[in-house]
Amino acid sequence: MTASSSRQAILDRIRTATRGDANRYETLPHNYIHRGSLDAGSRIRLMTERLREYGAEVVEASLANLPALIVHQLQSSGRRHFVVPPGLPKEWLGAGLDWKLDNNLSHDEIEHCGGVVTAASAGIADSGTIVLHHGADEGRRVITLLPDFHLCILRARQIVETLPEYFARLQQPPRLATYISGPSATADIEMTRIKGVHGPRFLSVTIVRDDG
Amino acid sequence: MTAPVMDPRVAPPFPEAALHILQNAELRKNVAHATDVIQAKRNHLVAEKTDWQELRTSASSIRAHVLANLTSFLEEFEAKCTAAGGVVHWAADGAEANVIILGILREESATEVIKIKTMTSAEIQLNPALEAAGIETTETDLAELILQLGNDEPSHIVVPALHVNRRQVREIFAQRMGLPELSDDPQALTSAARSYLRKKFLSVPTAICGANFLVAETGSVAIVESEGNGRMCLTLPRTLIALVGIEKVVPRFSDLEVFLQVLARSATGERMNPYTSLWSGVTPGDGPQRFHVVLLDNGRSEILARRVERQTLKCIRCAACLNTCPVYRQTGGHAYGSVYAGPIGAILTPQLQHMQHAQSLPYASSLCAACYEVCPVKINIPEVLIELRAQVVNQERAHMARWSDPMYVGMKAANFAFASAWRFRWAQRMGRIGLRLFTRKDGWIHRLPSLGARWTMSRDLRGLPEQTFREWWGARGRSGSREAK
Repeated sequence: MTASSSRQAILDRIRTATRGDANRYETLPHNYIHRGSLDAGSRIRLMTERLREYGAEVVEASLANLPALIVHQLQSSGRRHFVVPPGLPKEWLGAGLDWKLDNNLSHDEIEHCGGVVTAASAGIADSGTIVLHHGADEGRRVITLLPDFHLCILRARQIVETLPEYFARLQQPPRLATYISGPSATADIEMTRIKGVHGPRFLSVTIVRDDG
Repeated sequence: MTAPVMDPRVAPPFPEAALHILQNAELRKNVAHATDVIQAKRNHLVAEKTDWQELRTSASSIRAHVLANLTSFLEEFEAKCTAAGGVVHWAADGAEANVIILGILREESATEVIKIKTMTSAEIQLNPALEAAGIETTETDLAELILQLGNDEPSHIVVPALHVNRRQVREIFAQRMGLPELSDDPQALTSAARSYLRKKFLSVPTAICGANFLVAETGSVAIVESEGNGRMCLTLPRTLIALVGIEKVVPRFSDLEVFLQVLARSATGERMNPYTSLWSGVTPGDGPQRFHVVLLDNGRSEILARRVERQTLKCIRCAACLNTCPVYRQTGGHAYGSVYAGPIGAILTPQLQHMQHAQSLPYASSLCAACYEVCPVKINIPEVLIELRAQVVNQERAHMARWSDPMYVGMKAANFAFASAWRFRWAQRMGRIGLRLFTRKDGWIHRLPSLGARWTMSRDLRGLPEQTFREWWGARGRSGSREAK
C-alpha cells in the first residue's frame, strides 16, 4: 500500500468506527483541584521540601546577594567551567570562574563543562518540578543535559502550588519544554533508586525571594 | 539464556507458559519484590491526593472523547506537526511501519540508531527488522539495555527487566561490556551503563522513540522518563523518528495537567517523573533538525469499532494493572507471550491479533477487578475480558471438534438442565446423590475424579446440602411453620 493510501484507509476506518459518536470537549468533567490553598511562604517551603526529597540541593537568596551566592555555590561544587545561556543576566556571572557563553557551542565543548547555570520558567511546588521553556535565559536543551551539575535560579513569584496553576498561567503553549523533577534517576535494578544515570547527577536550585 | 517467545502468533498458550515459569523460584522472587515496592509507593502517593477520583474521571473522559473524535484530532495533530517542520507518516500495520522507518534510515544513510524504550516498536518487531537490514540498534533505557545485552525480552511495560536481579545484571554487563571486575552494586552497574552509552549518545546521528502523548492543539510530542536517556536521544541526534499508536493523541496542551498527575503516580509511585520532554516539530538551533512521526494503526481502528472493547485504547501504559494483578504477580510478563503483559495485555494482545492468536489470554485472570480499581483512565478490564471470552467461545463453537471437548459437552448439558425447572430439580437430586460418594464427614469434597480433579487439585469444594432452598421453602409452606427443619 502506498503511503497516502494508508493515510486515507486508516482515517476511513476510524471514521466508520466512530460514526455518530462525536461529543463536545466542553462537556467533559474537570472537577479536580485547580488552585492550591497555600500562602507564598508555605508554597516555597513545600517546593523546597519536595526538591530535597528528590535529592536536590535548595538555597534561598535575595536578589541583592544572588551573584555572590551563585559564585559561592559553583565554587563549592568543585567545578570550574560553566556553560551559561546567552540571555542570562550578566551581573549573575561573578569573577573567578570560567564562563562559557552558549553561542552554539559544540556537544564536545558542552560535555567538557562541569556545570551549567540557567533561569527557569516556572516551579511547581506540589511535585517539586522545575519548568524550562528554553528561552534566552534557560538555553538550548542540550546545555542542561550534558554537564553533570545544574544550578537553576528560580524566582519565588514563578512558583505555583499545583500543576493546573502552571497550565493556567501559560499565555500560549511553549514550543519546547522540559519538566525536571529532581536529578536523573533509575530504579531499574531491583527497584533501588540510583541518582544520576544520563542527565545531570546534581541539581541545585536557588530560590530568589520576591522582596529582592 | 534462550529468549522467551514474545510473538503472540507463535507463543505457547498462557497456562503452558505459566506452568514453566512458576517453577522458576528466582524469577518469581524478583517479580514479587518489584511489584510489592512499586505498589506500596503508588498506594502511598495516591492516598495523599485528595482529588484522585476526580482526576481519574477527567482522565477517563478525555481519553474516551479522543477516541470518539479520533479522525479530527489526528488530522489536527498532523497539520500542527507539519506546520512546525515535522513529517507525518501513516502505517496501516507493523510491516508498513518497518518499511517507512527503514526508508527514512536509508535516506539518512544510517548504519546505527539509538532508541528510547518504546513498547510500540517491540509490538511491530522493529529491532529484528532493522538488524536484518544491517542497521545496528542500541537500546538506551537501562532496563532495555540489560535485556538487549542479555538476549532477553521485556516482562513489564514500565520496568521491563524487573524479573532480573542485580547478580544477573552483573553477569550480563561483565560479559558484554568486558568488565570482569564489575561489582553487583546497582550504583556501579548504573555507572557502567552510563559510560557504555555516553559514546553512543554523542556519536550516533539517528534516534527512534515512541511517545506518551501527542497533543492535537500544538502538534507536540510528550515523552515521560526518568534516566535522561530520552532527553539525550531527543536532543543530540540529527534525525529523530517517533513511532506512535494512533490512539495516543490528547486534544489540548493543558490536558497534560491531568495525565502528568496520574501517570507517574500510577507507573512508578512518584509525584512526578524526573524528566518530561515536550516539543513540536523542529526548532532551529535546538535538537534534531529532521523529525518524523509514524502513526501506527496495526489493528487499533478495528478495536475502535467495537463498543465494549474500545476502552482498551484509553490505556496510557502506566502498568498499575500489572503490579496489582494476582495472576501477573505470580507469573511475571513472559507467560503472556506478548510485549503487553498483565491485565491490559490480556485484553490488548488478542485484539491486536484480530482474535486469531493469544486466545488463552482473556482467561489469564481471576476477574477480581483489582486492575479496574487502580486504572487511572478507568478501563473496565474485567468487562472486556468477559466480552473477549465470549468471542473465544463463539470461535470454538464453530468447530466440529467441539463435541470431543468435555468442557463444551458439560456446558451443553448444563444448558439443557437449566432450561427447565423440572430438569433442574432432577439434576440437583442426581448431583446430590452423585457427590455424596466424594463428600467427607467434614462436609467438604477434597478430591474428585477425572475432569473434576482439575478443580480439587488446588482447592476443596463444599458438599451439596441435603436440602435445597426451594425444597425448604416448599416444606415450610405445607407445615405452616416459620422455622427451618
